[in-house]
Amino acid sequence: MPVDPRLHDNDPDAGQRHIGRRRMLVWLSSVGLFGSAVLAAVSNLVFFKPRVTYSPSARFSIGKPDDFPSGTRISRDVERVCIVREGNRVAAISTTCTHLGCIVSISDTGFACPCHGSRYDQDGNVTGGPAPKPLPWFQVSLAPNGELEIDKNSQVDPGTYLTV
Amino acid sequence: MRLALAIAAFVVLIVHGVVFYDQFSYRWERHQIAYLEQARSLSTNPRERAALEERAPHIEQIIVTSFGDTRVDRCVTCHIAADDPRFTGLAEPLKTHPYSAALGDVQRNGRWERRHKFSDFGCTVCHEGQGRGLDTFHGHGEDEFWPEPLLGYVTQPNWRKDFAPHLRGAEYMEAACAQCHTEQDFAGTPHVTRGRKLFYAMNCYGCHKIDGLSEGTLGPDLTEAGKKFKIDYLWESIVEPRANLDTSFMPNFHLGEADVQALVIFLKSRRGVNFAETTLDRYKAHIANVAVVIPPGTAGEKAGQQLLEDRACTACHKLLGRDGGIAPDLSYEGLIRDDAWLMDHFKNPRSRIPDSIMPSFRFPDEDFQRLSAFLGSLKTPPAPPNPAATFKDLCERCHGEKGDGNGKVAWYLDPSPRDFTKQGFMVSKPRERFVTSIKEGVPGTSMPPWGRALKDEQVDGVLSYVLKTFAKIDAPSPKNHNVPDRNPVETSPASLARGEQTFLERCTGCHGRKADGKGPNSLDIFPHPRNLRNSWFVAKVEDRRLFDSILYGVQGTAMPAWIDYGFSKEDAGDIINFIRSFPHASN
Amino acid sequence: MSTAWNTLKELPSNVWSSIFRNPLPSTDLERASTSFTNFFLHIHPVKVHRNTLRPVYTLGLGLISLFLFLILVVTGVLLMFYYVPSTTQAYDRMLDLRGTVAFGIFLRNMHRWSAHGMVAMVFLHMCRVFLTGAYKKPREFNWVIGVLLLLVTLFLSFTGYLLPWDQLAFWAITVGTSIAAYAPLIGKQMQFVLLGDTTVGQEALLRFYVLHVAVLPSVLVLLAAIHFWRIRKDGGLSRPEPREAVPAAPPKPQVYKKVVYGLQGFVRGPFTKVGNVPDDSVYSWPNLLMAELFVFVLTVSVILVVSLLFNAPLEQPVNVMHPPNPAKAPWYFLGLQEMVSYSAFWGGIGIPGFMVGLLLAVPYLDRNPKGVGRWFARERLLANTLFLTLVTLNIIFIIVGTFFRGPNWTFVSPF
Repeated sequence: MPVDPRLHDNDPDAGQRHIGRRRMLVWLSSVGLFGSAVLAAVSNLVFFKPRVTYSPSARFSIGKPDDFPSGTRISRDVERVCIVREGNRVAAISTTCTHLGCIVSISDTGFACPCHGSRYDQDGNVTGGPAPKPLPWFQVSLAPNGELEIDKNSQVDPGTYLTV
Repeated sequence: MRLALAIAAFVVLIVHGVVFYDQFSYRWERHQIAYLEQARSLSTNPRERAALEERAPHIEQIIVTSFGDTRVDRCVTCHIAADDPRFTGLAEPLKTHPYSAALGDVQRNGRWERRHKFSDFGCTVCHEGQGRGLDTFHGHGEDEFWPEPLLGYVTQPNWRKDFAPHLRGAEYMEAACAQCHTEQDFAGTPHVTRGRKLFYAMNCYGCHKIDGLSEGTLGPDLTEAGKKFKIDYLWESIVEPRANLDTSFMPNFHLGEADVQALVIFLKSRRGVNFAETTLDRYKAHIANVAVVIPPGTAGEKAGQQLLEDRACTACHKLLGRDGGIAPDLSYEGLIRDDAWLMDHFKNPRSRIPDSIMPSFRFPDEDFQRLSAFLGSLKTPPAPPNPAATFKDLCERCHGEKGDGNGKVAWYLDPSPRDFTKQGFMVSKPRERFVTSIKEGVPGTSMPPWGRALKDEQVDGVLSYVLKTFAKIDAPSPKNHNVPDRNPVETSPASLARGEQTFLERCTGCHGRKADGKGPNSLDIFPHPRNLRNSWFVAKVEDRRLFDSILYGVQGTAMPAWIDYGFSKEDAGDIINFIRSFPHASN
Repeated sequence: MSTAWNTLKELPSNVWSSIFRNPLPSTDLERASTSFTNFFLHIHPVKVHRNTLRPVYTLGLGLISLFLFLILVVTGVLLMFYYVPSTTQAYDRMLDLRGTVAFGIFLRNMHRWSAHGMVAMVFLHMCRVFLTGAYKKPREFNWVIGVLLLLVTLFLSFTGYLLPWDQLAFWAITVGTSIAAYAPLIGKQMQFVLLGDTTVGQEALLRFYVLHVAVLPSVLVLLAAIHFWRIRKDGGLSRPEPREAVPAAPPKPQVYKKVVYGLQGFVRGPFTKVGNVPDDSVYSWPNLLMAELFVFVLTVSVILVVSLLFNAPLEQPVNVMHPPNPAKAPWYFLGLQEMVSYSAFWGGIGIPGFMVGLLLAVPYLDRNPKGVGRWFARERLLANTLFLTLVTLNIIFIIVGTFFRGPNWTFVSPF
């Protein structure tokens, strides 16, 4: 009975001419499958990274410069930021304590945290308590519609003011 | 197999590539990039230019929580220049949102300041549309499954083509303004104001309830009409009341386009609650005595005529040169109705005409008295020169100019006006009956006793005219059936039980289980089966006539001759006892 | 010192050889044993009968169903990262999946079309098994498990249908669970437990979600595993009887002292059949594996293309006051709904219950051993005809329910 070379792979004489073609097809298949797998994996990673979140935006407007009279410090607890206005310069200091994240309040000498007693001076530098780092300053810019915009994703060096 | 696998693997790779590519080219990205480029070129500040250079396109959103459910408005992803005053001249979507004093915006130091800040209001509170959508189809609400398309800017593809052109225009947004600005005559919402005035002027308030404004119960509650329905449905319901419900008896008021638009905007503004209200406000509005909430300027009139005009009775009735085309002519009311009838009818029209669609208005008694007095004063008799003129003047309005019962207001009357062209009916009743109907009227129906306004010769004349012209007979020739003049069967509980039993077995298909003429077959029969609970009517009809109708049928109608189905006089007598035992309709 | 350095030098190769402990095969026996010795691959026998690979025989329907299920699990888990089963949030999350999530609309499409596809393929697989007589002894119980798998698949599709929380979902499930309430004695209770309330609401959404993502997939995996195990133990997929004489009975195992282990009777399976059947077989690796890989790639391609071209529906947000007219159940239940419009009990519970009962009983009623392993064998004319008639009737009802029924369930023309 003739032997069908496809059925009995252990016959060494059969199918020699098929092997080269077979190898190439296997290689092509592998490329196709591997490429698809890579694309699928990359797509999944892109899928996982959220494009929107439902928490308040990191970049937000706080109102007109005129809403902040010169010499005032106004704290916004929802956005966790303190707006400092001196003359015609405006800055924004974070009011999230760098120790464990409580909201600091404005005190006569700067900021004070009610949770573990961290103390900061007017510029946010640590003057007492367990806080490890100074309060960061955020970038303040003037939006086209004339309002002040704070971007909590951009930190600036302490002492950086926007001139309005 | 290896070949097949190789080909399949190649195909799947291509498809993966297409999928991958497809998910990465978004229109909003291109819009944002265009904006950033433009903003960079307009920028005067190098630091700002650098920041714009670094900024990558991403989804921008405004999360609004002050107006009911949380709204997430992503309109600003494409409309990113909405709050950038430098883009006023450009094309959408990169166009600045207009500033306007009408919106409360003010100019200060040469620049505009918005009253309704986007960070507080978002976009969809005023414009509607779908905040979460990120392309025009979904975001603008062009998807017919989205309940809130952009007000006045978008018509959905499944809207009727004859209405769609009327439903565009920025004025439709006033319906959204009124969610907070509910004051009457608010300057920013003139169409809502006009619509509210029409709501009273056309007597919509008599049938429809809107919490805080009216208490009608005949039509659907419109308190939340704006929340439930889109503007195309509201438009259709006004111009074609029977478009969605065959049996609706809402009249078609034949309003002009501007009026319909005002009403649509007013109704669209009814959301059941407005965001500027407190719970206490809402409660107070709910329990308010609505009779006194009629718009100011109509209270305190002395003359009933003034009342009549202000109560817009002529939105339906004909009187004093005006005609609503929906209800009977009141010009001779003082002659044909007495004070008792008028007062009862005013307080509850159904106490005198059980199937009337006139709303029950909750006016104070003195208003009713003034109105009755005024109507009672209309005692000038008609003076038509000949029977044809008599018919045209007094009868045509209900019975139609062809005498076929299709008069101008016929559709709104129940029972319907008689069709004189039904020869089979007209020839089978004695002439005296017709004379009586004209002279004494038909109680429980809208046929008034014209005998009080016409002389006997006039009555005879118009009757002959009707018989000749419409029924095409010279005189009726009724058959003489062997029926008793009075019901020989005594009214006993046994008789009533038998009558009820027979009624339930044989009569309910047309006359209905409640004998109100609303049986399942009734919609397809003309004239409609009689409402046997109309006791004004039933009381006036002698036993003889009832026997005749039951046993020998009523020619020209669908009432069969039950003697052919084996009814005996006793059976008919039991049924008559049963019918006469219903409680009086005036209760 | 030097041993520490040696340990470090050898670390990579030690790690590698601890995972991959066996050298590449050099003899045929070693090659054959790959299928036998690998955790994932030993679901396959070392050798399979030739018939198993003939596409025209099985049409690969069972495989397609399995792969669709895998696609459903993967896409489903991915979707779970963004979906919230709350009546106030579900619809908004669907909008976000459609609008903002990268590949969101695509994954949702894949999930939806795979689901419909799986219901159809599972049904077609059942038809194939019936029409080739492959449920006969010794495969009766595997058929029963298959019917159970069909029911679990339908239930999975049904529970998933509710999750978008739009008008289509809400009213389809309202109709579906109302049909269930017609079951005698327990119907209303069943409906109450299923919905967690008297009407469809937050409780129903939560219960359906848990059923859909956790309970039913686990049940399905368990049943499917037994289903595959049974295939192995029944000697592979069915095939025509050999024309040669049946080989001699296997040698009797050695007789031990008779001890009765009662409970073992439930769980003990048959011994392997190696050496007991004629050798008309080929190696699983590579033949069977390549065939399976091909079917997999094909299935994935088709689902990808369909998902590119057609979007899964998302209708109006739920409005409990306003049922759409008509309110239709999902397509696989429309045949039921059509029948229910004639008689609630018989159409919803009686006839479907009877049909399922008949399906379950079929291998025990049809004891004729002839006609196995061939399509439309003549010996099975009666059985095949009956089956096809019932299938056709069902399809007709579904078509009528889908296209020929309009508002108030009156007949309308779809043209």
